[in-house]
Amino acid sequence: MKKYFYKSSMLALMAGVFLTSCDPEIDTPASSAGQADFTSYVAVGNSLSAGYADQGLSRAGQLSSVPAILAEQFKAVGGGEFKQPLFTEAQRNGSGYLRLAGFTPQGSPILLPVTTDLAIRSQNPTLYAKYTDNINNLAIPGIRTADIKTVGYGSPMANPYFERLTDNPMQTYLAYVQEQAQAANHTFFSAWMAENDVLGYATSGGFSGNLTDVGVFQTNYSELIDALTADGEKGIAVTVPNVTAIPFFTTVGPTLKMGLKAQGATAIMALTKNTPTRIPLIVENIKDATGGTALIPLTAAAYAPLIGTPTGKWWSDNIPRSILGSTLEAYGVDTLQALGTPQNPWPSALLLDDAEQADILARTTAFNDYIKANAQTKNLAVWDAFTFFSNIQSGFSADGVNYSPAYITGNLFSLDGVHPTPRGYAIIANEMIKAINAKYNSNVPQVDVTQYRTVQFPN
Amino acid sequence: MKSKILALLGSALISGTAMAGGYQVNLASQRQIGMGHTGTGLLTGTSSIFFNPGAMSHIGYNGVTIGGSALISKIAYSAPESYGVTARTDNPMGTPFQAYGVYNITDKLSAGLGVYTPFGSTANWGDEWGGRYALNQLQLQAIFVQPTVSYAITDKLGIGIGLTYVAGSVNLQRSVPVQSQDGSEGSIELDGNAEPAFGFNAGIYFQPTEKLSLGVSYRSKVNMQLEQGDVMFSNIPAAARGNFPDGTTFNAELPLPSTLSFGLGFKATERLTLAADVNYVGWDAYERLRFDFSQNVAGSPFSEANRNYENAFIYRIGGEYMVNDALALRAGAYLDKTPVQDGYLTPETPDSDSRGLSAGIGYSVSENISIDASFLYINKKERTDDANLSNGVPGTFKAVAYIPGIGLNFKF
Repeated sequence: MKKYFYKSSMLALMAGVFLTSCDPEIDTPASSAGQADFTSYVAVGNSLSAGYADQGLSRAGQLSSVPAILAEQFKAVGGGEFKQPLFTEAQRNGSGYLRLAGFTPQGSPILLPVTTDLAIRSQNPTLYAKYTDNINNLAIPGIRTADIKTVGYGSPMANPYFERLTDNPMQTYLAYVQEQAQAANHTFFSAWMAENDVLGYATSGGFSGNLTDVGVFQTNYSELIDALTADGEKGIAVTVPNVTAIPFFTTVGPTLKMGLKAQGATAIMALTKNTPTRIPLIVENIKDATGGTALIPLTAAAYAPLIGTPTGKWWSDNIPRSILGSTLEAYGVDTLQALGTPQNPWPSALLLDDAEQADILARTTAFNDYIKANAQTKNLAVWDAFTFFSNIQSGFSADGVNYSPAYITGNLFSLDGVHPTPRGYAIIANEMIKAINAKYNSNVPQVDVTQYRTVQFPN
Repeated sequence: MKSKILALLGSALISGTAMAGGYQVNLASQRQIGMGHTGTGLLTGTSSIFFNPGAMSHIGYNGVTIGGSALISKIAYSAPESYGVTARTDNPMGTPFQAYGVYNITDKLSAGLGVYTPFGSTANWGDEWGGRYALNQLQLQAIFVQPTVSYAITDKLGIGIGLTYVAGSVNLQRSVPVQSQDGSEGSIELDGNAEPAFGFNAGIYFQPTEKLSLGVSYRSKVNMQLEQGDVMFSNIPAAARGNFPDGTTFNAELPLPSTLSFGLGFKATERLTLAADVNYVGWDAYERLRFDFSQNVAGSPFSEANRNYENAFIYRIGGEYMVNDALALRAGAYLDKTPVQDGYLTPETPDSDSRGLSAGIGYSVSENISIDASFLYINKKERTDDANLSNGVPGTFKAVAYIPGIGLNFKF
């Protein structure tokens, strides 16, 4: 009996050992490609698709670009290799970028440029290490839809990020896309193009840069999508977010408003658009948490403390010396007067006023209407970035982390206040996956966004 | 005979017995684990100290029991729309244990002492999974020490009451979403021992006929108070350190809920005993998990997340068959309804309705010594939750546990 008991307890023990190797499983739906074919994916777009962040393009940024994240997720549903024009490990800091070095006693971030291990092959003009192999991520930082048919856009005097990729400086971006798409024999694409058609004008406070003409945009955009859908390929189009909602425009204003109120100021005079016209900047109307609409760009941080003192600092910082005198005369600016007075108004570049915002919003809406209509015609998925970023203005929480469009603390935007952090890009990638899955009845798995970094602090 | 035991073992292994809801751990007696952890309406031997102090005066001998289980639990997690398992726990083996001693002072009056571990929780998710800002790992332990007296009012009726002294500890670790330029991520660890706390366990046992027995027992709620626990931060980048000050302590309170139990025993034949229990657990005491800090952490003097547990029932059945005078075979099953409402799932206790299946063997080595072995398999229902009300982690969780155990009984 004793022996028998021993035997059965040994059996029980062995069964226990066997069972403990049995892990619980979860009955999830299987990943699947649905009606899409992810075998060969190409991405066209601008800095937002290139992985640009912290005011620069680095190898790490490229590795966490939205298309790179998407391509990794596509691998679960038949996706193939996705080649990016990666900077080498030795030149990993690419164009250079900003890093957070600390905070001033007042709590303002101290940003310093990273200047080591760059991929710069020429300083003047700035040119980057060439990469002319066939690739899948065709995104060019800085490109506008308006630029895609410009001959010479890949020349040393034009866009250095395109110059880097093409071996023919006379090739247009559209021709490059056609060539690369053909080489990749692509089956799926993403197109997120139109930000820079409004962004340059916005970040310059309406002072420089243009809003792309709607007709030009429509022609160029449709030709680009036509090239990518020549053989009925499927893909996803992305709308332009409301660029005035990014931290670049919402960070300095509240501080400036508080400072001016403390001094008892109710208004200062400012220039608007690229004109000598003066408008009042009503202090109460500077946008902060309590209200207001006037936006102050991040670039104003260095000049805000100079209000009320005679200064021409912004003009001498930004206008070439040779034309400085004539420029000041053209705008009727007397730098011996206090900044903010009618004689020395607040520069237009440091204010995005209501009229400028209205122009940007109208143009953005026109572009987005066209992008959505075009996608419907071509039967493409659409991720409406405009709606997404409008909906998260007050922030959201995911997996125990708070996200918002706040500068640095919001976790979504990098130190340039315009481009997302890798975490932000991963969140965008998941939103795009949702749109792709909904359109093509696919089950492309979502990525674990927590594997991508937010703003990093000095040790 | 051999095939009979194997068949029983086999069925236990295929299905098995389940863990308890929330952070309760119902593993109080090796014999009773084998019977689906029934026992409120039975004479369970010395473990009546736990199951029903009213029955202790009726067991008819002096005895000591010691036993323990190896609790091997595994949890899988699937992030929303990930189409696969994205994380698994690497839990250390839990070791719930029990020790009971009963001494009959007179025919009618007996005294006893029990030490047991009815609450505890261990979950180790590591510091890489997507929910790490909610939890890396949690270790919750509670030990109950219960001196008990029981009085047999008649041959058929007994009452008993015990004072429970409760000691416990909590260790909780989370990642902090603050990163350094070297890529390392901050973390916070809360570690504290509970202040001594007291409660009671009382019961009535009634045996109207030779075949039928009934019992009711109530184990009171005990609040575990943690005071001046340590808050430790690591890998916080210098620029953010002011937000996570060294030397911070925390206070917290965790309720160990009451349990009201009804039980029935039926001696179907000379050799076969059947039992059924219903437990009603007062989980609504657990409303929130709140840590009060001695100085601001991440800008706030406290951290709070709602739990809002609901009271829950557990239904149990079990049986014991005496093959001969020395060998007993046992089996049981239970259904443990979850106290966690929709929206409140957390990675600490990703709870759902759990099914338990158990089997056990008892063998009397001699007149005075016997051995009990048990095996319990717990299978919690797969559960998908938005976790939007608990600051938890949305997704799908699935947990199982394998719990072999062994106990020794001495009579004198």
